[in-house]
Amino acid sequence: MEAAAAAVPAPSPPPSAAAAPGSAELVCAEGRNLKAVLCQRCGSRVLLPGAATFTRRELLLPAMRKKAAAAAGGGSGDVVREHWLVRDMFSFENVGFTRDVGNVKFLVCADCEAGPIGWHCLDDKDSFYVALERVAHE
Amino acid sequence: MAKTYDYLFKLLLIGDSGVGKTCLLFRFSEDAFNTTFISTIGIDFKIRTIELDGKKIKLQIWDTAGQERFRTITTAYYRGAMGIMLVYDITNEKSFDNIKNWIRNIEEHASSDVERMILGNKCDMNEKRQVSKEKGEKLAIDYGIKFLETSAKSSINVEEAFFTLARDIMTKLNRKMNDNSSSGAGGPVKITENRSKKSSFFRCTLL
Repeated sequence: MEAAAAAVPAPSPPPSAAAAPGSAELVCAEGRNLKAVLCQRCGSRVLLPGAATFTRRELLLPAMRKKAAAAAGGGSGDVVREHWLVRDMFSFENVGFTRDVGNVKFLVCADCEAGPIGWHCLDDKDSFYVALERVAHE
Repeated sequence: MAKTYDYLFKLLLIGDSGVGKTCLLFRFSEDAFNTTFISTIGIDFKIRTIELDGKKIKLQIWDTAGQERFRTITTAYYRGAMGIMLVYDITNEKSFDNIKNWIRNIEEHASSDVERMILGNKCDMNEKRQVSKEKGEKLAIDYGIKFLETSAKSSINVEEAFFTLARDIMTKLNRKMNDNSSSGAGGPVKITENRSKKSSFFRCTLL
């Protein structure tokens, strides 16, 4: 619906879950994201450069892929550790929020709804986590 | 961190179930990417960023999916809404007839100065059409609301619809701010034809 993502070239190959993303080259000296954060599938722009800070926290995210989700019985997913932490919901360029699952909302791509790409707990209004390994960087 | 946008508008998608409200939130029609996990939970709202006249606007768009009956949508849902898309399905006459009920519901529960727009969705399915475009236009004229036929599937008029609604909200907001500043400055009172009837301050979230 906005033109921003239209000009985005095909997203870079998604980093696999096994190979830890090279976060060093993605983080600036102030700990912010050097590159824009995009959807791995459709290239939709999730965050502009500098909109988030790098942080580590162990979070369980349901699987992204249908097969993996089915294999896991839908009940489990991946433990992800490296995130972009966003403090204001409206710092996102484009993002979707799922309905509540307990006290958690998951974040998805606003355009193709790939996800979950991130996590938000209703108990902490000012923290939105986007998993590095579930997004592309450009 | 400094605010990186000029306006923040809360928009709602309203209409019978099955008219394709959720699809209006997609850029791509096929939701093949959607895992069963996400489709089961459902999407609450989306944040979209658009640019209008050099202004950066954040849209927070809420979908009523799953709670479309009139009585379940009340004041709490409408709170803070600045724009509402009234959506029907051109292949479903009932959904069109219900637009009047939705408008009544809005008048009852939403802020009186909320911007509205009527969308006749699924206009790619012309062979199954039950509601003519003229009928849609007539209804919109009767209520003094803008109208577009859209197809989420073929991406017809979807962007235009959101841009139009956002522009109307922005125009209204700027007019109110001008009204307020000119009367507040103690200078000559500017009399404009477009002054709204009620003096209720537009509930904006200008951050």
